[in-house]
Amino acid sequence: MFNGEQRVTRKPVKRVHKQARDILIYGVSIILAIIYLVPFYWTVLKAFRNSIFANFPPDMNPLSKTSLAYFLTNLKTVWGFGDFPLWYLNSVVVSVAVVAGSVFVGSLAGYAFARLKFPGRDLLFYAVLATLMIPFPVISIASYVFMLDIHWLSTYQGLIFPQIASALDVFIMRQYFMTIPEEVEFAAKIDGLKPWQIFFKVSAPMAAPAIAAATIFSFISSWNNFLWPLMEVHSLNLFTLPLVLNFFKGANGTQIYWNQMMTVNILTIIPTVVIFALFEKYFIRGISIDVSAR
Amino acid sequence: MDTEVYNTLRVQKRKPRKSKLERTTGIIFIIPLFIFLTAFTFFPAVYSFVISLFHYDPFFHSIYPVGFSNYISVMKSAAFLKSVENVLIYTAVVVSVQTFLAFGFAMLFNRASKISRLARAIVFIPAVVSPVSMSIIFLWVFSNAGLVNFVLSFFGVPPRNWLYSTTFAFPAIMAMNIFSTAPYFMIVYSAGLQSIPTEVLDAAMIDGIRSGLARFRHIYFPMLRFSTILVVILGVTGAMQLFDQIYVITDGGPARSTYVPLMFIYNRTFVYTGEIGVAAAASFILFVIIMLLTIAQRRVITERRW
Repeated sequence: MFNGEQRVTRKPVKRVHKQARDILIYGVSIILAIIYLVPFYWTVLKAFRNSIFANFPPDMNPLSKTSLAYFLTNLKTVWGFGDFPLWYLNSVVVSVAVVAGSVFVGSLAGYAFARLKFPGRDLLFYAVLATLMIPFPVISIASYVFMLDIHWLSTYQGLIFPQIASALDVFIMRQYFMTIPEEVEFAAKIDGLKPWQIFFKVSAPMAAPAIAAATIFSFISSWNNFLWPLMEVHSLNLFTLPLVLNFFKGANGTQIYWNQMMTVNILTIIPTVVIFALFEKYFIRGISIDVSAR
Repeated sequence: MDTEVYNTLRVQKRKPRKSKLERTTGIIFIIPLFIFLTAFTFFPAVYSFVISLFHYDPFFHSIYPVGFSNYISVMKSAAFLKSVENVLIYTAVVVSVQTFLAFGFAMLFNRASKISRLARAIVFIPAVVSPVSMSIIFLWVFSNAGLVNFVLSFFGVPPRNWLYSTTFAFPAIMAMNIFSTAPYFMIVYSAGLQSIPTEVLDAAMIDGIRSGLARFRHIYFPMLRFSTILVVILGVTGAMQLFDQIYVITDGGPARSTYVPLMFIYNRTFVYTGEIGVAAAASFILFVIIMLLTIAQRRVITERRW
């Protein structure tokens, strides 16, 4: 600014330098993305094969006609394996129930902690905060014994209920409700709406992005949950997909049918990846809140 | 004047009624949450400790108090000590590498272009895929005909099954988990980077902080301190709970080289009979270790100024 000559002489050099840097950064970004895609690409390739003995190197194009035909055959085999449709349904039912429960419970509590004044509010909020310090695995044995005591082992409620109490959803909702201007609610108050009416008619609809974040976050964690179903479920009828994958792995002794296995894997992975792709923004917001809560 | 007095009186009269309603609503709104938290978090936490003081075998109805002897048998168990040793090594390696990579990824993708956004989304995929699915994929990646051997064959390295080796099985699992968790923690750093005002970078430019190294030293390091605290603490807590991948891939073997505390706890509950009390004691010890590590890290990181 104050030294014109220097600027003139430096500028072209700098631009070239900047361009080279851009190319380097984008190059590395793309290479990294490719590295991250390779395992998934090979998963797809495996699912598009006909036999356990992959020809090496195989037909690299999973979309060729023969490959697609193989995939359909694998899909049919897998779909007919045990009660696969039921297992898939179990995963859907459990995840949807967990999401519905935890988002509803979480938004009620999140609203109360953000907006309503009641005795012991801060203390109770710290109690919720404290649950983040108790990792689920360390209380899983006691939860298992508790389920045994009340005869909830291998039941849907036993699978679903312990996953519902999610401090995280409370945080996501509370955080968002605190950003809604109080004037909005004040106006509703003057119109004579009761606090719960304000929540259901005014605040909750305004918190749609937070509800989306909480929904996606709890869906993915419930869909991917392995430890709890593994302990809770002792009956094939209640298997969820992660259990199926693990079961499938050992179903043929030491021989792994990679093509079928990867087909199951794709069916398991697809819902979460699709949801992530559609709602990336909300999911990432969920993580940043999860992290900031601690 | 009269209306003004009337108004204040009215407001005063109405206010208590309203806040009472608000109070009732608030309490009703948190009741569902606390029912769930009490039944499925607070109660199991206490119950876990109670069980740890018993010989607990619900299947043979043999339940009697044994004091702290479960704790003694856990501490004397070679398997448990090995599992703790393993998980501590695992935590040290995974947390340091993933923190470093998470920061690197965040710096790399910290641009407003489409390429960066797309690449970041792709890199993030393993973080939304279940650990079991990732384990199945990496079971193949490290198998005889897998990706690692395929790549190494170009360098003339003979193929081997990495997961059957006591030397390589655990590092293989570490690598796999770093692959999936580094992108997760990248988000924390991305959020941190975005919160650095551009004025700070401009001001630093004027002050002569131009080289990459100087920028790290004077801007990124101090300004991302909070992100680093989070990444490290969450990383440690997560790493100590390693289970799914071990259970699916190696089941703790070969020769306990990948045995971790949750494997011990699971086996004592479901493989051995009548050892649930021991499992509960081990759970409690694990919980204490995680708590102590968390507190220690908070201390170290908040006291030291970089």
